[in-house]
Amino acid sequence: MTYVVTESCIRCKYTDCVDVCPVDCFREGPNFLVIDPDECIDCAVCVPECPVNAIYAEDDVPSDQQAFIKLNADLSPSWTSITKSKAALPDADEWKDVKDKLDQLIK
Amino acid sequence: MLHSPIQTDAVIIGAGPVGLFQVFELGLLEIKAHVIDSLPEIGGQCIELYPDKPIYDIPAIPVCTGRELTNNLLKQIEPFGAQFHLGQEVTKLEPQPDGRFLISTSRDQHFLSKTVFIAAGVGAFQPRTLRLEGIEAFDNKQIFYHVKNPEHFINKKLVICGGGDSALDWALYFADKVTSLTLIHRRDDFKAAPKSIAKMRELCANNQIQLLIGQITGYELVQDRLSEVAVTGIDGNIQSIPVDDLLIFFGLSPKLGPIADWGLDIERKQITVDTEKFQTSIPGIYAVGDINIYPGKKKLILSGFHEAALAAFAAAQYLDPEKSIQLQYTTTSPKLHKVLGVTPPIFE
Repeated sequence: MTYVVTESCIRCKYTDCVDVCPVDCFREGPNFLVIDPDECIDCAVCVPECPVNAIYAEDDVPSDQQAFIKLNADLSPSWTSITKSKAALPDADEWKDVKDKLDQLIK
Repeated sequence: MLHSPIQTDAVIIGAGPVGLFQVFELGLLEIKAHVIDSLPEIGGQCIELYPDKPIYDIPAIPVCTGRELTNNLLKQIEPFGAQFHLGQEVTKLEPQPDGRFLISTSRDQHFLSKTVFIAAGVGAFQPRTLRLEGIEAFDNKQIFYHVKNPEHFINKKLVICGGGDSALDWALYFADKVTSLTLIHRRDDFKAAPKSIAKMRELCANNQIQLLIGQITGYELVQDRLSEVAVTGIDGNIQSIPVDDLLIFFGLSPKLGPIADWGLDIERKQITVDTEKFQTSIPGIYAVGDINIYPGKKKLILSGFHEAALAAFAAAQYLDPEKSIQLQYTTTSPKLHKVLGVTPPIFE
């Protein structure tokens, strides 16, 4: 199993999650984070850190978010590792409550 | 090696619930253990991450908090007199020619043990650091994540960062002992004892503490020493604060750390074990609780308890291959009553 970052993260990228990851398995894209499923050890420490509740256990990913399981797996090999949190995207607060924003994802 | 190593039959790495129950299961088999943990307190994640959150899935305990679970386990293992070595991280685990293992800690404590039980959860808790390019060069010179020697900070220009009990306790302690004291927290909401918060507000009103709501976003050097930090407020304004020393209390987060370098078979950064003995790829080293992985593994405290029991029996046989190790019940076994130090009621 693994944990999965879902749609809520897009255009927000608060990055609180990366500080607590014991195995540094977060990968960073221009406006989204993913979890490398080969590195994640299912410890769940990141889940409560996310201010927009973007992180789910693979088995609990909501039905409308299932595509993100594959997205996390597909994007993580080419994106770079992020191990320390940094400032959220400047307009994160405007996007945090937007539900449909998959079209905003920059790969 | 500063101190001669402690010689023992068993060392348990990690004083979380599973490490504690490992003491119990070894104790029933009359194997004494030393327990090492990086945290200064016993309890692991139960104490560090969720001391007051209710846990509902411990068998026969409908609900208890992380702290209650830890206290109950401590009571349960009392008869076995395990020795705790807290506030130190295990840095090395090296097999010796005589079959024992040399365990070294960050406090230069050494153990020579016949068996090792890794109950390290998601790794050792480390202080979260200040995140600024190049700032780590000043660690333990002008930036400190704990106070080892309070004298060092007397009559200095001190900056303390954080909003928890550690930050406030030290701010109150140093307020009348330093040249200037600036307390920086990212929001005006403190997670500390209400009494400390009230006292801190009072000292701010008396100008003994300068409170800034914001984050350190830069620093200035004079002759290779930190001279000022730039603090960006929530309004975006930047202030420069003169500084001799910084104390940072951003809390702790777990890191797997050196475990990956001990030569054990690892899968996705967890230690692979068999499900008969919970033994690692090195005989005599067992891994129990969240740190291990095997087909069907579920990271539950109750799984860790089961693993600890089987690992203890395996270790007893490993320590004495000739001995026939009998399973006995605490309800009926006079031998177990003796090791537990109990006198059960006699039924006519």
